Amino acid sequence: MKQFSNLDQNSSNHTNLEWERQLLLDLGNDITKVRDKNDLIVLFSDRIKSLMHFTHTIVTLIDRKDETYKPFLLDHRASAIKDHPEYDDMVKACFPLDEPFIQSVVAAGGPVDFFLADIVDAPQSPAFLRVNFEKGIRHVLMTTLRTGDQPIGFIHIYTDQHDGFSQEFKDIVQRITPQLSSAVSNIIKNEEILQKENEKSFLLDFSNDMTAVRSRDDLAVVVKTALRKLNPEGGYVIRKINEDGLTMSAYLYDTGASAFDPALLERVLSEKYPINDGLQNRILDSYIPLLFNVGRELQRGYNLSYLNLWENMGFKTMVGIALRNGNANIGLLWLSIDEINIPILQGICSQIAIAMGNIMANEDILRRQAEQQLMLTFSNDITGVKSKSDLDHVVSNVLQGLFQTRIAVMYLLAEDQVTLRPYLFDRQFFQETEVAEHEEFYSLNINEQHIKLVFESNQPILLDIDETLEAKCLKLSIQREQRGINTVYASALRLGEQNLGMVWMLGERISGPLLQGICAQISTAVSNVLAHEQILRLKRELENENDYLKQQLNQDFEEIVGGGEAMQQVYRLISLVAESNSTVLLLGETGTGKELIAKAVHNASSRKEKLMIKVNCAAMPASLIESELFGHERGAFTGAVERRIGKFELANNSTLFLDEVGEMPLETQVKLLRVLQEKEMERVGGKTTIKLNVRIIAATNRDLEAEVKAGRFRSDLYYRLNVFPIKLPPLRDRREDIESLAGFFLSKFSKSIGKKTVKLSANALRQLQAYLWPGNVRELEHLIERSVILATGPMITEFFLPPATGATTEDPMRPSDLPLEEVERMHIIQILRRCGGKISGIGGAAEILGIPGNTLHSKMRKLGISKADYYAH
Amino acid sequence: MKIVIIGGTGLIGSNVTKKLRQLGHTVIAGSPSTGINALTGEGLSNALENTDVVVDLSNSPSFEDGPAIQFFETVGRNILSAELNAGVKHHVVLSIVGTHLMEGMGYMRAKKIQEDLVKSSGVPYTIVRSTQFQEFVPTIAAGGTQGSEVHVSKLDFQPIAAEEVALFIARFAISEPANGTVEIAGPVRGPMSKFVEAYVKTNDAGKTVIANDSNEYFGLAVPTSTLVPEGNAYLGETRFQEYLQSLSPQA
Repeated sequence: MKQFSNLDQNSSNHTNLEWERQLLLDLGNDITKVRDKNDLIVLFSDRIKSLMHFTHTIVTLIDRKDETYKPFLLDHRASAIKDHPEYDDMVKACFPLDEPFIQSVVAAGGPVDFFLADIVDAPQSPAFLRVNFEKGIRHVLMTTLRTGDQPIGFIHIYTDQHDGFSQEFKDIVQRITPQLSSAVSNIIKNEEILQKENEKSFLLDFSNDMTAVRSRDDLAVVVKTALRKLNPEGGYVIRKINEDGLTMSAYLYDTGASAFDPALLERVLSEKYPINDGLQNRILDSYIPLLFNVGRELQRGYNLSYLNLWENMGFKTMVGIALRNGNANIGLLWLSIDEINIPILQGICSQIAIAMGNIMANEDILRRQAEQQLMLTFSNDITGVKSKSDLDHVVSNVLQGLFQTRIAVMYLLAEDQVTLRPYLFDRQFFQETEVAEHEEFYSLNINEQHIKLVFESNQPILLDIDETLEAKCLKLSIQREQRGINTVYASALRLGEQNLGMVWMLGERISGPLLQGICAQISTAVSNVLAHEQILRLKRELENENDYLKQQLNQDFEEIVGGGEAMQQVYRLISLVAESNSTVLLLGETGTGKELIAKAVHNASSRKEKLMIKVNCAAMPASLIESELFGHERGAFTGAVERRIGKFELANNSTLFLDEVGEMPLETQVKLLRVLQEKEMERVGGKTTIKLNVRIIAATNRDLEAEVKAGRFRSDLYYRLNVFPIKLPPLRDRREDIESLAGFFLSKFSKSIGKKTVKLSANALRQLQAYLWPGNVRELEHLIERSVILATGPMITEFFLPPATGATTEDPMRPSDLPLEEVERMHIIQILRRCGGKISGIGGAAEILGIPGNTLHSKMRKLGISKADYYAH
Repeated sequence: MKIVIIGGTGLIGSNVTKKLRQLGHTVIAGSPSTGINALTGEGLSNALENTDVVVDLSNSPSFEDGPAIQFFETVGRNILSAELNAGVKHHVVLSIVGTHLMEGMGYMRAKKIQEDLVKSSGVPYTIVRSTQFQEFVPTIAAGGTQGSEVHVSKLDFQPIAAEEVALFIARFAISEPANGTVEIAGPVRGPMSKFVEAYVKTNDAGKTVIANDSNEYFGLAVPTSTLVPEGNAYLGETRFQEYLQSLSPQA
């Protein structure tokens, strides 16, 4: 004012114009420099303070939403009322436009000077007038800021001077008002643009960060970073709709800077909230974010632990936004923030929803991969399952891995096709021996209502556990209830069309199709295990049978019955020669057991593991014996259509038993000799020489020496064969063995025809001992076989032996010059010896001699034959 | 009471806002220009905090079927979900008499959807069905103009002054929720052609009004009394004549 008073009136207009132009220019420059919106008012004040004294200025803006105006630009530095206790309230307050004071300002064309004392107490006057007045302000110059015709706000210039504002100052203020208006609206616009920019760059950053999100943890970091930018102190929780589609659980969360009760947080995190809990459904049903007042929702009676937690955390307002993929809700976001910025929140949420969708898809893929891996391992493992315990182990592994469950009970269908018997069971539900001891109780009937359902379905079925099911079928221990399991999966086990059994499985995370696949494999495995068990059982049976048969075979060797001196000698020879590879020549009458002895030699030798090959030289036509022994090549002779391996080759590394070697044609004898000498042979018609390692055992009942003399047997072959001769005694020379032999054959044949062992009467035995046995042991064997078959009782009392004719005994009748009496005496003694001293009756000597018993008695007396003669054997 | 008027800066809305403010209520005039956009939801949730009554006077910028339906459906859902959340105690919505009889018209179907959403929302409500505004008659006249002739049907008509619509709305807003539909109408019922004729006579004397019996309203054939209240309606007092007088320059 002082400055103005110094100005000369004429030049003042000009100068004022100049100055005004300069002021506008400066103001324009200032505006470009303004960083903080409040800088504008400070700079503006500074500029115009050079014109006129005033204390401070402020700019208020009109809010058309509720027809109010409120402080926008404040000069905190110069404010005269900043120490007033109501200052903070004033800064935040909205003043209604609908009152006379401000209406008069709007109505006026330019700045209006008010003397505060006049208006401060007027009705409806805004409070800031009184506050200023109380701080010594006397005048306020009010000017309306407009864009076009629309008032957008006011500039208030306050002074503590009593004389108010000069007309020049008012003129200048009026003239710079448009400039100021546009500056203010620019600030508003700039703020809007800046805000939009910030939103965009925020979303861009967020979006950039989101592209790198691969996992839940990544997402947590990105979301936390972004939300911290919106509200540095705030917390958030993202809830995901659970698989049941009815509840939601925390997926990601951050408690922000709040202090809270950890136990409560723990509870909230572990809880599943029904979607329709009154709050969550409001969010999911809304297309826009909703603002929740925690206190009020609690007042409304929503008893939700998360509301309590938020109250505990000091969160007063929460924004809730649905997370949607397309139109499907997948969860929601709760954010502790006071204001809803729709573009940002929607931007964030759509990205979070996409990321969650991706993560879930990714987790799904990973889970499936893991499942597949598990199934693969399972398939591999199950092919190797051979026993019940393997099966239990493999199946438990896969079920644990896939569904965190085990087979509660596995039943197998019994042979009656009705009863299901427990096969495998989970130890946690049953005592170790409980099931085995009460098999009947734990068995199920396939026709029971629930079980029927299981077998009627082609896939696993889910049953609610009610009392009937519990009592009739499941029969699990108390453990089930404790674990809160209320449903059970049941699946039939089938192999093709055939029902094998069924399983109970307890668990919540079971996937039907997967379970079906597993059950199919289990079925295969079970049938494998059963088959394997059967194989094992059959194998054991076979082994037993084999052992028995081997014993039987060994008994064959032990069939060499007889402990008599003659036989003892034979045994000694056998054990002597067996270990060596020497050729053995067995000599003995027919039926003396040459083959048996040959087997004994073979079995006592190191070659016993291989089969002894037997050739009966007498049984073959001379023309074939060669090819039989040595084999022949294809086309070696007419009819030799294929290659044949000879007995020699077969007997390589084993023993070749040449029976009846005395019957061998001469030309074959030559070849045999060569083989024995060279230990090599050729097949008939063959060119290659085959090396041999064959032990020869030859046998004959002929007198080979005599044969050699007669020219029917080659002497060189004889000497080659006669390396280790063993002479088998005829049975008549080992009468002491007759009893044991007879006993042996009796029990053998009795057993074979299923009779109780038939016994011999003493009489019958004497008969046997008296007989000459031209057919030796074989004859005895056959006689007893026949007698056992013919025997009607448990005892054989008499044998029907062919009468002793001279012709049958091959006793060499040497020509002697003994007198008849002596010959007669010797003959009687011999017969008596054979008959064991029995003179008359069956098997008695008289019978053999063909004279009555009394005649024999008198002859014995006459010839002086005493008991000592025929018992001194 | 805190009252939020959605569409609070429109023809009726600004008037209702003014009236309610005069009655001393805290009124938020919601419109995109004041930062409250019911279509996008912007500002809605914040504005509805601690609000007692919401008056929905929003109107679709398009009268075409698809956009109109989408507008009323989205806006309706947004407002109602925010109201439910904020615990709003009364929802007042302005609709049109005969809406349920004109579902052949997309806009009417959209209004019907809006009404149904309100009914099923769970928020206590008053649906205010109004007859056509007197201020709408020039539009009807223009719609029927063919050269120098104005063709218009003789449908029953009972136009109400916009000022009185605002008054009724304000009254209903501060009354108890009806949880039903109330109808408001002008004081006089007559054939639509009579009203148009009166208008044309005072404003465009060169044209002739030709009344027809087609019973068509904007191309849709409707029963004669579609556009007038079925039962007892709240009636305004301003006669059509007064509106016509306000239009003439000397008034």
